[in-house]
This record gives sequence, structure tokens and C-alpha cells, in this order.
Amino acid sequence: MITAKNLRLTFGQGTPLENPALRGMSLTVNQGEFVTVIGSNGAGKSTFLNALAGEVLVDSGSIVVDGQDVTRLPTHKRASRVARVFQDPLAGTCEDLTIDENLALAIKRGQRRGLSAAVKARYTDQFRSSLASLGLGLEDRLGDKMGLLSGGQRQAVSLLMASMTPSSILLLDEHTAALDPKTARFVLALTTNIIEQQSLTALMVTHSMKQALEVGTRTVMLHQGEVVFDIAGEDRKGLEVKDLLDLFEKQRGLEITDDSLLLG
Amino acid sequence: MLSEIALYGAIETGLIYGLVAFGIYLSFRVLHFPDLTVDGSFPLGAAVAAVLIIDGINPWVATGAAVLAGMGAGAVTALLNVKLKILNLLASILTMIALYSINLRIMGRPNIALLSEETVLTPWYELGLAYQQVPVLLFFIIAMIALVLLWRFMKSETGLAMRATGANPRMARAQGIATGAMVILGVALSNGLVGLAGALFAQSQGAADVTMGVGVIVIGLASLIGGEAVVTPRTVLLALVACIVGAILYRLAIAFALNADFIGLKAQDLNLVTAVLVTLAIVLPGSKASVRAYFARRSQ
Repeated sequence: MITAKNLRLTFGQGTPLENPALRGMSLTVNQGEFVTVIGSNGAGKSTFLNALAGEVLVDSGSIVVDGQDVTRLPTHKRASRVARVFQDPLAGTCEDLTIDENLALAIKRGQRRGLSAAVKARYTDQFRSSLASLGLGLEDRLGDKMGLLSGGQRQAVSLLMASMTPSSILLLDEHTAALDPKTARFVLALTTNIIEQQSLTALMVTHSMKQALEVGTRTVMLHQGEVVFDIAGEDRKGLEVKDLLDLFEKQRGLEITDDSLLLG
Repeated sequence: MLSEIALYGAIETGLIYGLVAFGIYLSFRVLHFPDLTVDGSFPLGAAVAAVLIIDGINPWVATGAAVLAGMGAGAVTALLNVKLKILNLLASILTMIALYSINLRIMGRPNIALLSEETVLTPWYELGLAYQQVPVLLFFIIAMIALVLLWRFMKSETGLAMRATGANPRMARAQGIATGAMVILGVALSNGLVGLAGALFAQSQGAADVTMGVGVIVIGLASLIGGEAVVTPRTVLLALVACIVGAILYRLAIAFALNADFIGLKAQDLNLVTAVLVTLAIVLPGSKASVRAYFARRSQ
């Protein structure tokens, strides 16, 4: 279970460019929930994810992951509990390393690394079968450099790497946004499969309201660094984009003007 | 052409600079950390080894101490960068400058002669090999041991974490790798190798001198880049082999240029020749394609 309480974070404090990204944001994600997060540009979606991952430390508030207060911990000390897939398909893997070396990095996520060989013979079967599950023919290319793969293939491998070892939460930061529509559908389907099969707890930021309603078990909308609404279960069933817009207007008395949010 | 002594001399120095190239491969290529500390850690290794040797300490122990001193210098550079957030290049320049004073302090004077002292080479002269072949044999063995150890390390879990740190730090952190610690370890290892090279160089040349570090970074880079132009570094092993090959080729090219009377070059032209060679080594591999395209057009 992840509990974020009253998170506040201001970038460039005390400068003319002062920008409050999180303004008292609170959210609790229960075990097994798949939360989709939407919001217009500057709503604080990415900052919230970065705060959960440890890439930015919040000014105040607390983040508790499975009972452990991680608020002040840097990214690498949270990595055993927090898995992550980035928006940039090239960011989640190392292009200079081979596919099996990338997977070997992921299989040790958050654990001690010693001086034994990184790519062990006993990993091979596991690497092959998990790559085969992607259906991209990568299981025969373990020794290829990651840089030879396409963006979609690399994002699929990133997803595999993030789900290779158990985590308390899987963070997905608009991880299909930089892909072409067909590849994006493939990666999204893969995401929901992996999350369902392994009953992962996940938080997916998306720019598309339609996508936010299609997948997951709960949808949260952020606006100006706070949660505007949070719907799950029966309330969420059958909702359409228009309903979300009405909900937003009712809550805020504002109209959504971010085109990409409506069209996506 | 080259005399036999000049040939062996070039290979001998080439093997030593191969160790420097290993260090520069670690910092520049693996960690993407432009580290100029080597200009200070090379004479540091020489100074530490020389002082201990004239104190009567076993030359291998003295050489080991030089490695540790080099690692310490590298760790200082990395700490300045990681903990105090000083730009990596600047951090290394600060350590390099500081080392000049420290090296003078260690030696107590600008240079120390080792000509009559027992060095790591002394017992090897009793093997019955020609005088100029002895250092080549010993330094070849040392370079090969360093190559194998470094190769095994780069393939280990920690070594892989270090490579990920240099290639994609954000991804490395997300995988739970303490990237700061990896930079400190890597730059320390790099300068440990350079300290080793300095210690061996002092013992083979018979002296440690406070100015012997000037331009080590350029020679190391020349070896690294030249080696990569000759041996395509597709794997870690090939990249390490390229370091050694590049360093020996570099020394041979220098020896040839200085020995060929018809070119008219003298010892004082060394740095100019180095700069030209580095430029060629950087430019030539990239121009292969355009040269090929030119001839392809011509033949149409």
C-alpha cells in the first residue's frame, strides 16, 4: 500500500520562476489497484510520479510504501519497492548494453550487487521465456545490443524489466505517449496483461482521458498539484470522457481547455 | 628505420601507457567522466613508488602503495564531483593542480633517481634475456593481468552497474544502483591504474620526476582513440585490447617519427606530433565513409 500525504513541492522557490508543482496532494493506493492518473499540462502528474520514485524530494508531506517511510530516501534506495517505466522509450534501457545485460541489471533491482558474473547461465531460461511472451522474436537476440531495437520493442523490454522482480508499486509515466498508435496499443495491452497476471499495484499517468477510463480499476484527476476527483468501482463503470469533463467542471467550475486531453 | 633498442623501448612504454589507456577507458568511455586527474596521479604513482623504494621497501609493495595513492587521488576528484557538485572536468583539474604540490611534498625535491635501486625489474634481468627485452616481458605480463581482471570486473554485477551508471544514470538509479558510489569507485579504479603506470614508468626509466605527468591525459586519449580506430570496440574485451594496441602503436609512431631523419623531427616536436596523431585518429575513422563515397562516385 502506498500512502502519499499532503505532498508539497515548489520548483525555483524564491525566484521569479517560482512554480508550485504539488500543493498538498494526498493519495492512497491499495494493494492490487491499477490507478490511472490524468490531468492537463502542469497539473503535477509527472512531478507526483517523480516524488514517488525519489527523483525529486518533496518540501513537505510524507510518502509511506508498505509501512516504510521513504519520504527522504533517494531513488536507488526505493528501487526495491518502486519499479518504473519512463515516457521516453530509450530511457528505460541502456543501448550500449546487450539485451541480456539489461535484463540482468533488472533482475537485481534494489538488491546488493557483487563481483560474480552479471549474466548468469541460470538466468537464460527465464530471460528467454519472458522475452518470448512479448511475441517480438527477441528471445533469440539475447546478445544483441539494446540500441538495435525499435522504440516500441525497447519500451516492451522496459516493461518486462520493471516487472521482473516484485515491487510494491509499478509507476508508468505516459509510457505509450512517444510511440506510434499501433505500437502504443501493443504496449498498453502488454501492460494490462502483465499487471493482471502478476496482480501488480500500478499507477499509470496518461495524457488521454479515453485511455484512463479504458484500463485500470480507478481513475484520479489532478489539477494544479491537487487531486480534483477520484473515482473507482461502480461509479467508474460506463463513464465516458464527457462524464469526466462534467465532473471536472462541477468540481472546479472550470472548463478544460487542454486540447490534447480531449482529443487523445 | 627503428633500431632494435628503440623498437623494444617503444613497446615497453606502450605497454605502460596501455595501463593509462585502461584508466582513461574507464573514466571517459564507461563513466563518461572527462577526468584530467591522470596528469597528477601518474607522477603521484611514480613519486610514491620512488620514495618507498629508496627507503628500502620491497618494490612490489611500493608499486602497490602507488596504486592505492592513485585510487585516493581519483576518489578525491569523484567526491568533489558527486558530493560537492563541482563540474567533473573542473573537479579533476583541481585535484590535478593540488597533486603537483603533493607530489613535490612526497618526494621532497623535484626528482628522485632510481638507477642503483632494486626495482620490480631487477630479478628479471637474471633470466638471461636481452637487456631491452626484460621490461617488455614483465610489463606485458602485468598489462595482461590488468586486462583480464578489468574484463572480468566489467562483466560482474558491480561492473555492469558501473557501465549502466555511465550510459544511463536515470535508468541506473531506477534499478537501485547508487550512481554516486559507482562514479567514485570507477574514477578511483581508473586513477589506481594510472598510479600503477606511473610507478612502473619511474622504475623502468630509472627516475621519478614531478613534471613527468604533463600530457599523460593526451597520450592516454591518443592511445584509446587510436586503438578504437584499429580495433573496433564491439565488446568490452575488444575495447580493452584496443587500449593496449593503441598505446603500442602510438609509441611506435612517435619513435618512427623521431627516428626518421628524413622527416627532420626532433625530440622537442613530440607534443606537436602527438596533437597531429590524436587529430588524425579522431578524424580518420569518420572520414572512411566519405572517402569511400568519393571513390564510388568517381567510378560511376
